[in-house]
Amino acid sequence: MRSPIRIVFEQRNETPKYLSTLVPLISVIAALVAGGLFLLATGYSPIDTYSNMLSDGFTSSRGITDTLGLSTVLICTGISAAFAFQMNLYNIGGEGQLYLGMIGGAWAGLALGDRLPSFVMIPTVLLLGSLAGAVWILIPAYVRSRLGTSEIVTTLLLTYVAASLVDHFVYSPGSFFVTKNSAFPQGRLVPDSASLTAFGDTSLYPTFFLVALLALVLYWVVKRTEFGYRIQVIADSPRAAHYAGINANRTTLSVMLISGALSGLGGAALIVGPFGRLDPGITLLGYGYAGIVIAALARNNFSAIIVSGILFAGLRSGGDKLQISTDTPIHIGVMLQGAILLFALGGEAFRRYRIHAVRAERAAQ
Amino acid sequence: MTNTSHEVAKGPHHESGAAPSALSAHSIVKRFPGVLANDSVDFDVLPGEVHTLLGENGAGKSTLAAMLCGLYQPDSGYITRNGERIALSSPRAGLQHGIAMVHQHFRLVERFTVAENVILGSRDLSFRLNRSELEDRVSAVAESYGLPIEPGATVGDLSVGQRQRVEIVKALYQGAEILLLDEPTAVLVPAEVEKLFENVHAMTQAGKSIVFISHKLGEVVEISDRVTVLRNGRVTGHVSGRGTTDTKELARLMVGRDIELSTQRASHATGHEVLQIRDLSLNVGGVSVLSDISFNVHAGEMVGIAGVAGNGQRELADTIAGLISPTSGSVAITGSMSTDRGPIHARELGLAYVPEDRLGMGLVPSMSILDNLLLTRDRHIVVDRASVQPEAVRLIDQFEIKANGPEHIARKLSGGNAQKVLLARELSGGRSATKLLVVCSPTRGLDVGAIETVRALLDDARSAGQAILLISEDLDEVMSLSDRILVLYRGSIVHETPGESAQLATVGAAMAGLSTEGNA
Repeated sequence: MRSPIRIVFEQRNETPKYLSTLVPLISVIAALVAGGLFLLATGYSPIDTYSNMLSDGFTSSRGITDTLGLSTVLICTGISAAFAFQMNLYNIGGEGQLYLGMIGGAWAGLALGDRLPSFVMIPTVLLLGSLAGAVWILIPAYVRSRLGTSEIVTTLLLTYVAASLVDHFVYSPGSFFVTKNSAFPQGRLVPDSASLTAFGDTSLYPTFFLVALLALVLYWVVKRTEFGYRIQVIADSPRAAHYAGINANRTTLSVMLISGALSGLGGAALIVGPFGRLDPGITLLGYGYAGIVIAALARNNFSAIIVSGILFAGLRSGGDKLQISTDTPIHIGVMLQGAILLFALGGEAFRRYRIHAVRAERAAQ
Repeated sequence: MTNTSHEVAKGPHHESGAAPSALSAHSIVKRFPGVLANDSVDFDVLPGEVHTLLGENGAGKSTLAAMLCGLYQPDSGYITRNGERIALSSPRAGLQHGIAMVHQHFRLVERFTVAENVILGSRDLSFRLNRSELEDRVSAVAESYGLPIEPGATVGDLSVGQRQRVEIVKALYQGAEILLLDEPTAVLVPAEVEKLFENVHAMTQAGKSIVFISHKLGEVVEISDRVTVLRNGRVTGHVSGRGTTDTKELARLMVGRDIELSTQRASHATGHEVLQIRDLSLNVGGVSVLSDISFNVHAGEMVGIAGVAGNGQRELADTIAGLISPTSGSVAITGSMSTDRGPIHARELGLAYVPEDRLGMGLVPSMSILDNLLLTRDRHIVVDRASVQPEAVRLIDQFEIKANGPEHIARKLSGGNAQKVLLARELSGGRSATKLLVVCSPTRGLDVGAIETVRALLDDARSAGQAILLISEDLDEVMSLSDRILVLYRGSIVHETPGESAQLATVGAAMAGLSTEGNA
C-alpha cells in the first residue's frame, strides 16, 4: 500500500505575537502576487500597474491626501462594524446606516440653514447624522436584544430600504432635499456654515483626524472602561455575564446603537466634507460594506482599523486613477481588495493551527 | 469476592509456561504538542483478568487506552495481541481484533431502542431488519454475561447505569474479548457501581479481559487483579493482588508524595441561620425542576447536597445565587429576602458562588486572572486594574496558583488552578464580606493534590464562620465533608441525615430514589 502525505492541522495553544502582524502583512503581499499573475495573464505589466497604483494611492502628495480623505468614511464604517463584531453582533447593515447618516446630516444642514455659526452647525450635522444611523439600527437592535432575532438579516434588509429612502428623497418631486423646480436628480448643497473646508486644494477634510481620534478613543473604551469590560465578558461567555449580574440585553442594545451611530457619522462626514449634499451616487460606492472587510482585516482592533482603512482607501483611489492614467481596467483595485480579504481570512488558519505534512501510517493488514 | 485467581486460560493459545497476554503494549511513546503523554509505557492484560490503569487526570491513562483500542496510533512502540504484533489503525481495526472501549461519555442514539443501538455499526445485517430476531440475539448475548437489559426499550428512557450496560453489551455483541472501561463509575450511584462490578466478574469468569481506567483508589482496590499506576506519562508502579493493596501506597505512586484527604468534621456549635430557603419550587417549561424545598444553613456549618446529576442541583444553586427566579417560595440570605433581586443583590448580602461550570460561567476564559477577579466585584466606570493588582498577586501567592502572574489568561490554567482562582475570588469577598458560600462540584476533575487544597480551603472557610452549601455528585466528598447531608432526588429533598452518622447505603438508596423516609 502507498503511504500518501497527509496535511495535518494541529491547533495552537497560543498564537505567537509576531504572527498577528505577519499574517496580515503576508496576506497583502500574497494578494498582490496573485493580482500580478492575473495582470500578466491579461497582458498588463504588474510592475507598472503597481507602481502607478502606489504613486496614485500613497506616495504622491495628491494620492495620499485623496486616500486619507476617502479613508475618513471607510474608518467610520470600519469601526462601526468592529464595534458590533467584537461582541459577536453582526451588523452588516453599516451601508444603510451610512445612507441614513447622510440623510440626517443633510436634513440638519438644510433645515437649520445659514442661521447658525459653523462651530455649532458642524457638530450638529455630525450629531444628527449619527443619530439617524442609530435610529436605523434601533429596530434590529431591539429585537436582537429582546427576542434574539438575527441582526444579520434585519440590518441587511434595512439597507435596501435605506437605499430606496435615498432615492425617494432625491427623485420625488418637491422633496425637501432638492432644489425646487430642478429637473436634475441631485440633492441641494448644504449651506457654507455646515461645510468644512478641505486642506488646500486636496480632498482631505479635518473630519479625518476626528475619526482617527474616535477610533483611538473606542480602543480605550473597550480596554479600560466598565462598559468595555462588560462587552468583553458577554462576547466571550454570556453565561459568565449572567452569573456576574451583567445585563446582556441592555449592553447588546447599546453596542448596536453605537455601531449604527458610527456608520451614520460616516454619512454625515460626507455631508460636511466632500459631498455637501444628499447624493444618490452613494448607493453605488459600497463604503458601508467595505467597512466589514476593513474590520475583518484589522481583526476588530480599532487602532489597526485606521491602518486597514487607509490601505483600502489607497487601493481604491489608486485603482480608480489607473483607469484614467492608463488603460488598465478599474476593477483591478476591487479585485485586489477581494484578494486581500481572501488571503487574510485564509491566513487565519496559520494563526490558529500549526500546519505540517506527515506520511500517513500504513493501515492494518 | 470469589474470583481471586486468574489461571483462566480458555484462549485459543496454549503455549507452554505462562498464558500469553491477551493484549500488551510495548514501550509505547505518544507525544502531543508540548506534552509527552506516554513515555515508554509497558502494559499487558491477561485473559480473565481485571488490570487497572490508575492515575490522575492528565497522567496518560486515556491516551494509552485510546491507543489500545485504535483511536490513536503510538509514535513509537507496538502492540501485541496474543503475542502477535498488530497495527490498530482505527477503532474498527481494534474491534476486528476483539478490542472495544466503553467511553465515559456514552455513544448511544437516544431515540433508538437498546437492540438497535447494539447492532449499530454491525456489517452483517440484512437490508430488512427482523426486529424480534435481533432483539432475541441481543438478549442472548446480554444474558450469557448476566447483564439484564430490555432490548426493546428506548435508550432515552434508561438510567445512566442501564445505558452503560447497553454499551457493554454492544461491545460484547461485536465480539469483544478485551473491554476497556474508561472511568465507568464516574456517572454511577453506589448501587449501580456494585451491579457493574458483578458484571465485570461475570465477564472475567467467561475469559474476557478488562482494562479498568480510574482515579478512584477505593474501587480500584476492590475490583483489580493488578494495578498499573501512571504519573506524568510514565509507569510509576505495578501492584498485584486483589484487596491486599494499601490505598496509601497507591496514592503515593499516583501523586508522588503522601496525601491526607480525610478532613475533620468541624463539630463546633453552629451559629445563626445564614441561608433560609422556604417552600422553594421551580418549574421550567411546565416541568417541575424543584419542588417544595425548605432548609437552612447556619454560620460555621457545611451542608452537603447529594444527588445524581440532573436532579435539580444546578437550578437550586442558581436560584440561591439569584440567577433564576423561583416559581414560588423564597430565599433569604443573612435574614434579608433575596428572591427575584438578581445576583448582585445576593452578593451584596454576602453570597459567594462557585458554579459547577468553572470556565465559561465562573470564569471568563479569554480574560486574565486579574480581570476575572473583577468579575463579581464593583468595577468603577474606568476599570481601575492597578489598584487590584497587589491583591491579585497576593491571592495567587496565598492560594498557590500556578500562573505567570495576574495577566495569565484563565483558559490557559489547569483545571485545578482555574478552580483555585475561582475559590480565591469567591472566598476573598467582593461586594461584601462572604457569609454564605455555595459551591458546586468543587473538586470535580481535579487531581488529588488540588483536591486536598480545595477541601482544606473549604474547611478554613467553615472554621471562619462562613455558612457553606456544598452541592456535589461525588458522594464520598459530600459524606466526608458535610455536617449535614440532604439528598436531592427529582427536585425534592428525600432524605436528611447528620454527616457523622450518615450511612453510604442509605444515602445511596435515597439518591437512586429508593427511599422516601426522613423527609426534611
